[in-house]
Amino acid sequence: MSNFIVRKVAVLGAGVMGAQIAAHCANANVPVVLFDLPAKEGDPNGIVKKALDGLKKLEPTPFAAKDRVNYIDAANYDQNLELLHGCDLIIEAIAEKMEWKHDLYRKVAPFVADHAIFASNTSGLSINALADALPEGLRGRFCGVHFFNPPRYMQLVELIACKGTAPGLLDDLETFLVTTLGKGVVRALDTPNFVANRVGVFSMLAVMHHTERLGLGFDVVDALTGPAIGRPKSATYRTADVVGLDTMAHVIKTMQDTLPNDPWHKYYAAPAWLGALIRKGALGQKTKAGIYRKEGKAINVLDLAKQDYRPSAGEVDAEVAAILKIKNPAEKFDKLRAHPSAQAQFLWAIFRDIFHYCAFHLDAIADNARDVDFAMRWGFGWREGPFETWQVAGWQAIANAVKADIEAGKALTGAPLPSWVWGDEKAGRNGVHGAKGSYSASARADEPRSTLPVYARQLFPERVPGEAQDAGTTVFESDAVRMWTAGGENDIAILSFKSKMNSLGPDVLEGIIEAVARAEKDFKGMVIWQAKPPFSVGANLAALAPALQAGDFAALDKAVARFQQMTQAVKYAQVPVVSAVNGMALGGGCELAMHSARAVAALESYFGLVEAGVGLIPAGGGCKEFAVRAAQSATTAAGGDVFLFLQPLFQTIAMATTSRSALEARELGFLRDADPVVFNPDEILYVAKQTARALFESGHRPKLPPRGVKVAGRNGIATLEMMLVNMKEGGMISAHDYRVARGAAAALCGGDVETGTPVNEDWLLAVERHEFVELCKTEKTRQRIAHMLETGKPLRN
Amino acid sequence: MSKQVQDAYIVAATRTPVAKYRGAFRNVRPDDMLAHVLRGVMARAPGLDPQLIGDVVAGCAMPEAEQGMNVARIGLLLAGLPQSVSGMTLNRFCASGIQAVATAADRIRLGEADVMIAAGTESMSCMPTMMGNKVSLNPAVFARDENVGIAYGMGLTAEKVAVQWKVSREDQDAFAVASHRKATAAIAAGKFRSEISPYTVQDHVPDFKSGAVKIVEKIVENDEGPRPDSSMEGLAKLRPVFAAKGSVTAGNASQMSDGAGAVLIVSEKILKQFNLQPIARFLGFAVAGVPPEVMGIGPIEAIPRVLRQTGVRQDDVDWIELNEAFAAQALAVMRTLGLDQAKVNPLGGAIALGHPLGATGAIRTATIMSAMQRKEARYGMVTMCIGTGMGAAGLFEAV
Repeated sequence: MSNFIVRKVAVLGAGVMGAQIAAHCANANVPVVLFDLPAKEGDPNGIVKKALDGLKKLEPTPFAAKDRVNYIDAANYDQNLELLHGCDLIIEAIAEKMEWKHDLYRKVAPFVADHAIFASNTSGLSINALADALPEGLRGRFCGVHFFNPPRYMQLVELIACKGTAPGLLDDLETFLVTTLGKGVVRALDTPNFVANRVGVFSMLAVMHHTERLGLGFDVVDALTGPAIGRPKSATYRTADVVGLDTMAHVIKTMQDTLPNDPWHKYYAAPAWLGALIRKGALGQKTKAGIYRKEGKAINVLDLAKQDYRPSAGEVDAEVAAILKIKNPAEKFDKLRAHPSAQAQFLWAIFRDIFHYCAFHLDAIADNARDVDFAMRWGFGWREGPFETWQVAGWQAIANAVKADIEAGKALTGAPLPSWVWGDEKAGRNGVHGAKGSYSASARADEPRSTLPVYARQLFPERVPGEAQDAGTTVFESDAVRMWTAGGENDIAILSFKSKMNSLGPDVLEGIIEAVARAEKDFKGMVIWQAKPPFSVGANLAALAPALQAGDFAALDKAVARFQQMTQAVKYAQVPVVSAVNGMALGGGCELAMHSARAVAALESYFGLVEAGVGLIPAGGGCKEFAVRAAQSATTAAGGDVFLFLQPLFQTIAMATTSRSALEARELGFLRDADPVVFNPDEILYVAKQTARALFESGHRPKLPPRGVKVAGRNGIATLEMMLVNMKEGGMISAHDYRVARGAAAALCGGDVETGTPVNEDWLLAVERHEFVELCKTEKTRQRIAHMLETGKPLRN
Repeated sequence: MSKQVQDAYIVAATRTPVAKYRGAFRNVRPDDMLAHVLRGVMARAPGLDPQLIGDVVAGCAMPEAEQGMNVARIGLLLAGLPQSVSGMTLNRFCASGIQAVATAADRIRLGEADVMIAAGTESMSCMPTMMGNKVSLNPAVFARDENVGIAYGMGLTAEKVAVQWKVSREDQDAFAVASHRKATAAIAAGKFRSEISPYTVQDHVPDFKSGAVKIVEKIVENDEGPRPDSSMEGLAKLRPVFAAKGSVTAGNASQMSDGAGAVLIVSEKILKQFNLQPIARFLGFAVAGVPPEVMGIGPIEAIPRVLRQTGVRQDDVDWIELNEAFAAQALAVMRTLGLDQAKVNPLGGAIALGHPLGATGAIRTATIMSAMQRKEARYGMVTMCIGTGMGAAGLFEAV
């Protein structure tokens, strides 16, 4: 094998995209040199330094941990180009002006190392045209690498070769992007706006066209084109505000200029009202006004009829909402098409046009239909791409409906659907995705998935409809859990939950306990993994409700004790139990991960001991584990004062702090240094299995239960209480917040014993259980639990 | 009622500039600051034989870590005073500096010593929290309601004072703006120049290019805290820190600071023997306890007590250094006792100038001494509130 090593990355251009790409590289332990123009006065790197300060304040935060900013070095093109010699990958992300890019390329080319990849993050310019400015020797190492904003959170990166791009270069880069940066890669062709923006911007133009045609409000359209049809909450017009209306107009202009022969060309134009907003300087979020305008707490929306803003109140008609809730996609589309309301007609029209457009252009813009679907999922946050929507709704039926509309002049253009849509003489087509792959209109064949070795790390990658999937072999299964093996690897078992949000009810607990016993007997190790996030939202509160209502505190105590037995069984399993976490690991779910021999966490993992929200404290071993970890840390500190280590952990529990990344979970103490953080969520199962296997092969035995755990005791509780009394007296927390936090303080400090008293895990578990049950006895905690069960939201009382 | 056998005279007083928390003195050790002012105060009494120093009494509110191990003794040795000179660190929290002056003066007044140095030093930059390096509260505090105030942060006590003494946010902010205005004007007029011993900070920093350690020198001559641009509008934007609906903000509270001060006190015999010019006579000192949860009102009890003790009328005191721990408590004290605004903190107070806890009393004594040298005051007072609920006041008369 030959490794593609990226020791250092250079990013040229410290704008919104460049700076955030740099931040994400730094997240991934890839040091970065971030370049921009030299500042006209003051520090020559002032522009970059200002950009870095901006990054620290940006929301959602581009940094997965605060310290990451330290791994981005500021540089400028006049003084520091020699730094490029040390960079293995150079990403250009300056403004979208061909001449500026060409000038820069000519300037930096002599400094690019002989082996380095040089890539442009252009979103619309031709990669081949950009390559023209490069010396011949560099063209073979040039390509497009198109990130989406915000790059930490948007999965998609489009890779685009130019004519001279060396074979294997995109493979190397793809491997780096997929594993190291955790991205989803789609190979795009060098066509204007590539895949996602080509389809996505067209989709927005179609939405705008039908909005005006049917006289719908922007807010109504956003209600229709958001989660109701599996698209992000920001839907269409709020997305435009976030992107920036000027940027939108620029992208539309690119299509207008570069696609003169496209049958949809006349629609590649910014509507008049968009131009008017831009002229007024209402560019969207960045100027605090655009299609929407926030005034105090009220959100107002532009009303074209009134030519003014009015309160935003868009809602989906009840009948249309009912149609959208229909599970069967074929029936849903039938009813939408048949329904006479403007909203239903609008929805059918925007789907029809996107199907029409994607089918017509597939051969020119993408290798195959799967790439289009993934590009829309990953780049625009659609739950499913256009081809899969079409396929599951019944390929032929939809195709016929689209054809009928084209022929009736209802579609945006009269261009017919390409012939491949109908299939060949042998058989009518039933879709574009199947067991053999996804249809390529240019190759006129089904294309299988990439065989690049990096994808062997994705045991259960995202699928399109009709693709084969390993169902695994069941070891045992209950209503609550399934223990199974996959990929013919029978040495490591996988345990998955079947509960809603993977919550931990009594049946799941029993399932875990049984699975641990079976793993000890028959496997090298076990991985707890869920096919979809969250990892687990914690204990199932509803299961506790009957005992709470009956005031049966003995039963509550027993239930909590059983939970503790489960986490202890995981911790002390004779074979390694590894939790593979993606998304939320809250409350009991967090405790489960904390008790695993290792937690393998996807970068976007959100850990938290959030019990305080329902008036409780962690009692599945969470407080115990924090007390033990603090005591262990204290043994290495001068004076051995456990309190210093305990105080931040106490705050984390008392304030129910949730980590905003796996790296932050490490800072907060939920994850240990040895717990791997994996950037690509599709790789966590692979890494977790390898981790379990490696632990077993290295002769894993669980650590012995610690004895002589020195606790902070009574003085510790009093000192934490000092903090609480100030917050209560200052009106920052309620009397019950105080009561709950004091319970957490007692559990973390090992109860009302002398400071420094050595105790064991059983003692700590008994203290946290006692505090938990005592809180259950309070009226206010019961109100909090009832409120959470009814509304799903925490009650402040 | 006084049992003194001789008077105690202040012949010199000096201080460092007061630096902001983690500001100019962030790498300066408190024992070095103390040594600096001890050298400075001795230099102002040339000819005085240091062997005669009876004791060095240094106030420090958190005498631990960098300022632990009896910082007074370490500081005097670092200053180059003879090994035969003794030193003690004392702690009366925020009033440690003025307590040091009183304790030192009393040794002379009792005839037990003829030369004493009172001092104070505090580096809040060295402290990870306001409460020292290791915080540990006695669980018994929560056993009785009247003791819970011990657990209150100082800011919270100021909120309690603001409520009970009805001090509005606007009044607090206006008081803070005035403090900055007065301090800024005083610096511009050079009013602190004579009392300050400028400090040369030497930072040892790595020079990554050469691989050598570089020493960066900077002379600090002025107090860092005062803000010429302080305004009501600016302060109004700050949010209350200690209570959700409170009125105490970072802008109307004293600044965390680093600094040190020293005061040289001698008997009449020494004045004559070394031909020294006295600045002031130490008249007396009083301290009193108040409820911990409203610790800021301490001076309300301490000021009348020291006036009774010395027989000086409040109206005759023409210069009062009232430590501005918080605008709320300073205003409550001034209003309750009817203090003349014009006489309180004529050169600004801790909101602008900073409050290096245990050093402040010695520092503000130096300020009064220079005012007396300028003939701007006859009776001068240093007074302050004290965490956990006390007040202290010391009185001087110009000679």
